[in-house]
Amino acid sequence: MSGPVRARTLHRSGEAAPPAGQPGSRSPSGFWETLADLADAFQPTLFRRLGEELDSCIEHIPAEVNEYGYDRYGFHPGAFRRMSLTSALFYRHYFRVETYDIDRVPPGPVLLVCNHAGQLPFDGMMLGAAMLLEAKPPRMVRPMAEYWVSRLPFVSTMAARMGSMVGTRENCTRMLEAGECVMVFPEGVRGMNKLYSQRYELQRFGLGFVRLALLTRTPIVPVSLIGSEEQQPGLANLKGFGRLLGMPALPITPTFPLLGPLGLMPLPVKYRFYFGEPLRFEGDPSDEPAAIQEHADVVRESMEAMFERGLREREGVFR
Amino acid sequence: MEKVLITGIAGGLGRIVAGCLSQEHEVVGVDTAGAPHAVRGNKSYAVDLRKPEFEEVIRSERPQAVVHLGFIRHFRGSERERHQVNVEGTRSLIAHCVKHGVERLVVLSSGYVYGAFPENPYQIDEDAPLSASRNYPEIRDLVEVDSLASATIWRHPDLVTSVLRPVNALGPTIDSTVRAYLAQPRVPTVLGFDPMLPFIHEADLATAISLAVDRRLCGVYNVVGPGEAPVHTAIEETGGTAWPIPDPPARWLFERLFRWGLLPYPAGLLDFLKFPVSLAGERFEKATGFRCQYGLPEIFESVRR
Repeated sequence: MSGPVRARTLHRSGEAAPPAGQPGSRSPSGFWETLADLADAFQPTLFRRLGEELDSCIEHIPAEVNEYGYDRYGFHPGAFRRMSLTSALFYRHYFRVETYDIDRVPPGPVLLVCNHAGQLPFDGMMLGAAMLLEAKPPRMVRPMAEYWVSRLPFVSTMAARMGSMVGTRENCTRMLEAGECVMVFPEGVRGMNKLYSQRYELQRFGLGFVRLALLTRTPIVPVSLIGSEEQQPGLANLKGFGRLLGMPALPITPTFPLLGPLGLMPLPVKYRFYFGEPLRFEGDPSDEPAAIQEHADVVRESMEAMFERGLREREGVFR
Repeated sequence: MEKVLITGIAGGLGRIVAGCLSQEHEVVGVDTAGAPHAVRGNKSYAVDLRKPEFEEVIRSERPQAVVHLGFIRHFRGSERERHQVNVEGTRSLIAHCVKHGVERLVVLSSGYVYGAFPENPYQIDEDAPLSASRNYPEIRDLVEVDSLASATIWRHPDLVTSVLRPVNALGPTIDSTVRAYLAQPRVPTVLGFDPMLPFIHEADLATAISLAVDRRLCGVYNVVGPGEAPVHTAIEETGGTAWPIPDPPARWLFERLFRWGLLPYPAGLLDFLKFPVSLAGERFEKATGFRCQYGLPEIFESVRR
């Protein structure tokens, strides 16, 4: 890991810091410092502060809930707030997310198109947290899940409580017509399970999001995320095992399945979201694939340009 | 006064609809079981829809409108028998209505005919395919009845037919599948799943059926209630205790218990406990101005133990 390392005293004030060369002093990598920052940050007041910040953001989000606190799709603001606390913790203290040009996201209906990587959808979680915590005014993002997510116990319920829904054309259209912000990852599992050697190479895009944008005349904001591509380096993908478990493929990483489910936990990389200029396409949503691919290519180019900028500007993977 | 013939008058919903319609129509009832609790002053016949005696009833009574609620909805008897009664009974009813100049027909189908799948849209509209038979073969007779009634719309345009697909109907009188489900001492759910279930109060459903008769509705219509609640909320609010079972064992368990008569419904219902099936009701609301009177808390209150 390259880049400058932030000096940190790991001992309480009053005690002298140990001399260099002893355990607890600076290491050249920056990785241990990051872990130490994390441990430092974990205090009870942290939760209260984050909770208050979240409450003030969630106030801005309109939600039509019934007598039991659920909207008709299963979204529950109380559960959303609890899960957002976890997201906010990761946002501020684990991935230490930075956003660039988030005010480019226009009000009203919008499609956020982002790259997908890292075996687990922390990218979606963090993009949602970014729009909640950083956007002015705060916006709730509707993640679109793949069908197989609805088949998983617990995950499917949690996803619904957070406002996620299955990414069918009818659902997406309904959300966009209601003026919502919808988050799409056109690389799908191809992106999530991509191997470490393919990092920052955009995989094939599913073209549904372009048709959706044309149908509902919604602007597309390309988003490039620097950091997720290195959070869980993929060494191989086992399709056979994956099918047994009801997933598209079973990823093999340095820590998974070696350390069991915990092995999928991402490394504390630093996330940087770059938001591009909104793209407004016109055309026939049922046009032939070649015409639709042209629009998708414009989005890809925008994202690739932001990758270049982000990779050039960053100082290190973890810092 | 117009005469309305109601099949299935002995059932819970039949009685409520008869009460609703009796205010402005002359009501005649038909049911295989007769009508021991028939609304006072109304004639009723104990007759099987598949038999020639039923044609005699239509011929002699000459109703202007027919409301078809006469289905076997429970799973207690033989599956083959149920299929025969429901499908053949409906076919016979439609044929007699056409032959004897009945003007209007309202058929009560079910919101279950769309089937429960993760790829269903959140608000299923009337043009969606009826895919229940894929995972829930035990209710394929309901799908076939729906198809028969829908085909009547274009096959016999002189008979003004409407097919109503309601969401889960709940109330103290009605004998619905969801009522049987929630009334169990321990209500089984699938571990890790909590989909939104739509409900409508039995009185609102009866009002909807009356509106379909009075407004001379023609077409296929979803009938929806005030909204949806998660399965566990519905169980709690009706005073039950949820019994979560993980899925692959749940299906196996349900199949066995159903076969041994210890469970009132087959394993196909499990999908409705995993994936939300919510209907879009705008078409009916626009055509009739229908608005529900009973909200979710009242619906649950009415069946709370």
